[in-house]
Amino acid sequence: MAALAPARSLTLSPRWVRWRWPLIAAGLLALALLLRALPWDTTTWPEAWDLHLRRPIDAFRYWVIGHRNTHWLWLWFFDPLSAAIDWSIRRIEQALLATPWPLLVGGVALLGHRLGRWRLAWLSGGCLLLMGMMGLWAQSLQTLALMVVSVGIALQFGIPLGIWAARSPRVDAFLRPILDAMQTMPAFVYLIPVLLFFGIARVPSVIATVIYALPPAIRLTTLGIRQVSPATVEAARAFGSTPRQLLFKVQLPLAMPTIMAGVNQTIMMALGIVVIAALIGAGGLGREVLVGLQRLRVGQAFEAGLAIVFMAVLLDRLSLALSHLSIAKRRHAPADLGRWAGLQARCPLPLRRHGYLLAFLLLLAGVYAVHATLTDLRVFPAWLRLPLAAPIDAAVRWARDHLYEIGNSGLGAGPFSDFLTLHVLTPLRTLFTATLPWPAMILAVAALAAHAGGWRLGLAAALGMLAMGWLSMWNHSMDTLSQTIVAVALAIFIALPLGVLAAKSDRFELLLRPLLDFLQTIPPFVYLVPVIMLFNVGRVPGIIASVLYALPPAIRLTNLGIRRVDREILEAARAFGSTPAQILFKVELPLAMPSIMMGINQTVMMVLAMVIIAGLVGGGGLGLEAVIGLAKNETGRGVEAGLAIVIMAMIFDRITQGWAGRWRIARGS
Amino acid sequence: MPTAAPAKITCQQLYKIFGKHPQRIQAALQAGATKQEVLQQTGHVVAVKDVSFTVRQGETFVVMGLSGSGKSTLVRCLTRLIEPTSGRVLLDGEDILTMDEARLRQLRRHKMSMVFQHFGLFPHRRVIDNVAYGLETQGMDKRQRLARAQEALELVGLKGWHDHFPGELSGGMQQRVGLARALAVDPEILIFDEPFSALDPLIRREMQDELIKLQEIMHKTLIFITHDFLEAIKLADYLAIMKDGEIVQMGPPQQVVLHPVNEYVCEFTEDVPRSHVVTAAAIMRPPLPEDGAAYLPAVPPDVTLQALVPIAAERDARIAVRGQEGDLLGIVDRRGLMLALAGLELT
Repeated sequence: MAALAPARSLTLSPRWVRWRWPLIAAGLLALALLLRALPWDTTTWPEAWDLHLRRPIDAFRYWVIGHRNTHWLWLWFFDPLSAAIDWSIRRIEQALLATPWPLLVGGVALLGHRLGRWRLAWLSGGCLLLMGMMGLWAQSLQTLALMVVSVGIALQFGIPLGIWAARSPRVDAFLRPILDAMQTMPAFVYLIPVLLFFGIARVPSVIATVIYALPPAIRLTTLGIRQVSPATVEAARAFGSTPRQLLFKVQLPLAMPTIMAGVNQTIMMALGIVVIAALIGAGGLGREVLVGLQRLRVGQAFEAGLAIVFMAVLLDRLSLALSHLSIAKRRHAPADLGRWAGLQARCPLPLRRHGYLLAFLLLLAGVYAVHATLTDLRVFPAWLRLPLAAPIDAAVRWARDHLYEIGNSGLGAGPFSDFLTLHVLTPLRTLFTATLPWPAMILAVAALAAHAGGWRLGLAAALGMLAMGWLSMWNHSMDTLSQTIVAVALAIFIALPLGVLAAKSDRFELLLRPLLDFLQTIPPFVYLVPVIMLFNVGRVPGIIASVLYALPPAIRLTNLGIRRVDREILEAARAFGSTPAQILFKVELPLAMPSIMMGINQTVMMVLAMVIIAGLVGGGGLGLEAVIGLAKNETGRGVEAGLAIVIMAMIFDRITQGWAGRWRIARGS
Repeated sequence: MPTAAPAKITCQQLYKIFGKHPQRIQAALQAGATKQEVLQQTGHVVAVKDVSFTVRQGETFVVMGLSGSGKSTLVRCLTRLIEPTSGRVLLDGEDILTMDEARLRQLRRHKMSMVFQHFGLFPHRRVIDNVAYGLETQGMDKRQRLARAQEALELVGLKGWHDHFPGELSGGMQQRVGLARALAVDPEILIFDEPFSALDPLIRREMQDELIKLQEIMHKTLIFITHDFLEAIKLADYLAIMKDGEIVQMGPPQQVVLHPVNEYVCEFTEDVPRSHVVTAAAIMRPPLPEDGAAYLPAVPPDVTLQALVPIAAERDARIAVRGQEGDLLGIVDRRGLMLALAGLELT
């Protein structure tokens, strides 16, 4: 039980065991001082140790470029694959663009009504309409086509693979570490090898999107099938089901809600990479955002970002409604027809049964009648245009003039940004790259890792840190590290109190929930747009965006952890006369720790992903290196940065997971 | 009498050992190792150890044992939901353990069906589709199988509930659905894996009574697993008691109650009210000419003490036991009755 202290601390352990972590820290500090006192330079990474990995990689790249047109691997594999994907994406794009816009809006609204009644009908129709009103109709449809193809391919591979993994432990054991690695990798990293094999165009963006969005489809399918109760499976077997009958009549239907949740996540992941994929030639909304950001046309970026958010809301709510539908099927509740019940009852039977089909046919006929006689409905009309770019640019100018520094008070975004840069970020970076000797830095990270997950993890972390140096990414890595630490600290500093508050006040939670839902629907890249408006480019906007991006899961998991504390334990605490503060600090927070640590793990991973992305807007560090590698076609440099990112992500992930694990064990949960 | 019926299922030297090297462990067991030794030294779990029995057609065969005694594993071995390590299971003389997958599926679809402890219903299917599941796997067309399923539902008293989902039903009703599902395929053998132990006591008794009533109409072969000794003797025509994977005693329930073979079985029989179990046939003596049997009240041989005592109290304590054709089988007298009530052996 958690209430009982473990025996270890009752029988006092030897003093050195209790003090070992502070001792190790002191030892590290002493080592750092000692190293600095040495006659030769220990603070900068020895360049002679570089592996120069970029040389063979660039050589390989030239080989690829030279052989792309002749080698069988391209002739028989990559090229036909590209052609097939390109063909399908073009077809879908053409079909969407050839469809009159009222038909698309009306059709989506009808689908929304089918899945979630009027609320969802208005929401989904409205979202699509607004995309057009931003003047981004064609770009939105391009992005939609990309999504349809990528998500389609991801599901086509992901669901069967998930089923296979659920039925064969060997396949599962093989896939699991790969999926783990894929999920810790920031999206940027995928682009580099894909770029190498497929070049720049829409196809590589599809491939990158598919790879990025694949893990949740596989994971949740496997999970869904595994979750089917063994008793149910046994009953099906006892009645003589074939493996196929078992799968299609029992396991898949029961796994459906989880699989649909996987579909939802796959869609959201795919949408999350849309902007990033624009870096390697995906058109559509992503390109608009990217170009807007790069040229600092904030208005344009904002419009496109907003359109992406609308698409995210549209796809998220529709696919969620789909998964709720598959749960609702299991309850015996007649559809709630509300005030339409009477009307429906009076309808002739075919109208009742095929209502949606009839409504759609009606819509189709109406739209094409107008289309044929009055006006070309394929083009989104200009009079519906909601001109947002100009007022936003004006707002940005106003913000720059008035919010960047409010009067001469020394307050505002600019001074804040300067303060963060000059007094926090730069000193920390200097500390990591110039003040502390690099061996001390490596040992410090290794000690943290050993504390979190034992000496093996410590060793692995030390090797990882060394590898960053070998990859000639030491300074960039330390830059990214310093930004990540600051952003994580800020995020936790904000998220923890908010999470506690949400757990304590139902009203506050109710207020917070839609906001968090909304924040979580926004693809990561889009966070940068409004932040840029206020903070200009540099490291600070990246950090602000990272904090915003990482807040929701940290708040949610803190809230959840506290709310899940057993009522009886709280009663016991109150019965012993604890004050609310005592209950919070002595009972609730310690018991919520495993959940909070999971939140911190997610925060760290999300912050890292965002800090990398922020390389695009002047964040520097590994992100910038990866971007340069992509943009200037310096594949070797990009791969080195990408590998360093992956290593850093894995070290962060394992350390925070290790701490979460320790808390879980200590709490016996 | 059911004892005259032909053997339906025969189980011979059945073993089930969980672990990496079941064959090796079986050899060790046959050489005299105990279950505990095997577990401690090799980590193998001996679930079923050298079990043999015969179930006759139309009989209710009850396997009683505490949790961990291997009874659930044993019945799963009969349909190979768990693959036995060795032994033979004969159904109408055919060895189930040598069947291929297809033949085995046919068997599960048509001949044996099962009722589960936690019902094992399909939560995503309506009641009627749950009941029709076995017929669906057989490939029966929809109209026909729904009609059959409807009949089965009526049989278990759930008429009108076909359109509901299992989650909307109480535990007792869910198990009725489980029973209907098993009955719908019209199997030759029904296997019950502690079907009533998840139900509360009143519902449990009701379901037991109903099962007895159903069995009077159906005359199926039933194999019934329970950890409740009273339930076992209430339902059983033939009773096997399991401990540590072995059958420690087997016989008609009253024989088990009257002559427990060891301490372990004694523990269960102690709580049993003898008057509910001991029958006239068990305590009668051969008739003597001076009994004047023709003038005595007559009872059939399977009447229990519970019913005998009031009759004996009315009369001279002597009662004739007569078979179905009225033939005189024996006499129950004061001495036999009193010894039986006192729990002493009739010598």
